[in-house]
Amino acid sequence: MRPRAASYDYYLILATVMVLFAISALCVYAMFAFKLAQVQSLAPAAKLAHMERLNHIAAPLIIALITLLGICIPKRLLPTNWLNRFAVLLLASAGTVAAIYGVKAALLVILAASLILQLAVLVLAVTASGLLRFERSGYWLRLGSTLMHLGLILFVLDLFFFRQRLLHLALFWTTTVATTSGMVFCFYAHPLARMLQRGKGSGEEAAPPGVGS
Amino acid sequence: METLSHHLAFFTAAGRILMGLLLAAACASGLWGLANLCCRAPRLPKLSAPLLRTATTLLVAGFLLIAWFHFEIHQLLPLALPGELVPWLNRQLTAMNQGAAYGLPLYDPAAPPRYVLPLWIENEKYFFWFLCYAGMALVAHRRLTHHRFRGALLLLLAVQVAILFFAANPFVEPLPRFFAEVRPWFAAADPGQQFGLFMRLYPKMTFYYNAHYMWFHPPLLFLSYGAITLVFITSCWMLARRDPAVEALGYDFAKFGFLMLTLGMLLGYPWALQAWGPNWWWDPKICSSIMLWAVFSTYLHTRLYANKPHMWYFSSLLGILSFVAMLFTFLASFYFPGEHTFQ
Repeated sequence: MRPRAASYDYYLILATVMVLFAISALCVYAMFAFKLAQVQSLAPAAKLAHMERLNHIAAPLIIALITLLGICIPKRLLPTNWLNRFAVLLLASAGTVAAIYGVKAALLVILAASLILQLAVLVLAVTASGLLRFERSGYWLRLGSTLMHLGLILFVLDLFFFRQRLLHLALFWTTTVATTSGMVFCFYAHPLARMLQRGKGSGEEAAPPGVGS
Repeated sequence: METLSHHLAFFTAAGRILMGLLLAAACASGLWGLANLCCRAPRLPKLSAPLLRTATTLLVAGFLLIAWFHFEIHQLLPLALPGELVPWLNRQLTAMNQGAAYGLPLYDPAAPPRYVLPLWIENEKYFFWFLCYAGMALVAHRRLTHHRFRGALLLLLAVQVAILFFAANPFVEPLPRFFAEVRPWFAAADPGQQFGLFMRLYPKMTFYYNAHYMWFHPPLLFLSYGAITLVFITSCWMLARRDPAVEALGYDFAKFGFLMLTLGMLLGYPWALQAWGPNWWWDPKICSSIMLWAVFSTYLHTRLYANKPHMWYFSSLLGILSFVAMLFTFLASFYFPGEHTFQ
């Protein structure tokens, strides 16, 4: 196997992995904190205070994850040099909104921008457009990867609106359908393509299957 | 309750025979696995497939026996209240449902509530989990012929059956917690006492035992646990030798496991809202599940770059870490208090 040169994708994945690792570490800490403080037997106000404290610790990590998501999404549409500019523009816009309207509004801006861009990517992936930039080829793999990332954005949006029950559940089920179908398309791109193209000769999937991040 | 005692006796007796046979098959599998894992040359290579098939068939038979027993519980243990209590009860339930996002269904005397017990509660969950592993081990056994790899598959199955037999046998004392809950109901003499017990049993029946999420959330997670165990074996193998066929097999199970894990976790979310309300964040089990998902997701992402220097080994180590995280997540239910606790 020939070693591949490091790409923009690779560094974004590394950054995502680091944030996920930090969230994992926080989760482990939260478990022991819960046990040691006997949170289950505390008064509701003390329970709420415990949750608020952990939410405050988790907030920067979630912000980092959402920002990474915002930078990740346009990589399917823009060349690398434009991506850097886009990332700077996105961070500057988010910073401005955060200064005027608060961090929550800034995150919502990033998520809304990500959602619009990802929907554009989805349309292009469905129409098998050549404008998209994926490391791997294959219609189902690209569509699956797009749906998975769309599911991720919708899931974070869902957490934003969790107090609005109807919107919350509608977003949740859309997330579940997008994520699950995305995983099926992405992970089983080869068999899916073979199944659909049986009788038409060899399948279009040329590259080995992967997560298609 | 007496009507169920004959079925209970049959279930226990049949289960005892079945578990004895399963233990014998597991002992043979374990010995075969150990011998082949330690030896350079294959020992009795034709024996592994029949051993694995026998153990899997016995696990399937045990699972069908559990399904039959649950069906009998559904048929024979209705929560039937005396007719004079029904109007009063329904007034109480209507009052309780007011303002609640998810209410309790009103009592219908023509069709009293019955338990639809899922097939993976109490010790039965281990049975289902290990059955999932056995089925996946059969697939892995068919795809890879290396005697040491097959030895590892059979040895791990033997360990799981030993745990089942000695520590989590679902046939010795079937559903102890469930029966401890419902026994007072069937022993209750006066209607007032029955009413009190009904109000205690009915919410748990609705939001736990009979919740339709119970038929998706836990089994999907146990399927993922079975797949992660296979990922663990392939990852250990990858540390020892660079074999692309084993890596491909591990990746196939990782994809399946990740799909099941994600879907299982997602389907637990609306159920948690229904049963506990929105204040379930930072529950220890959910924290550990998120950690498992993050580690497993990292494993899948690094696998994309497995051809980079050192990434092969890093990816393998993450595969092993995913298994450790899975064990930690499962055991968290015993050690950490919270909504998922098994204590």
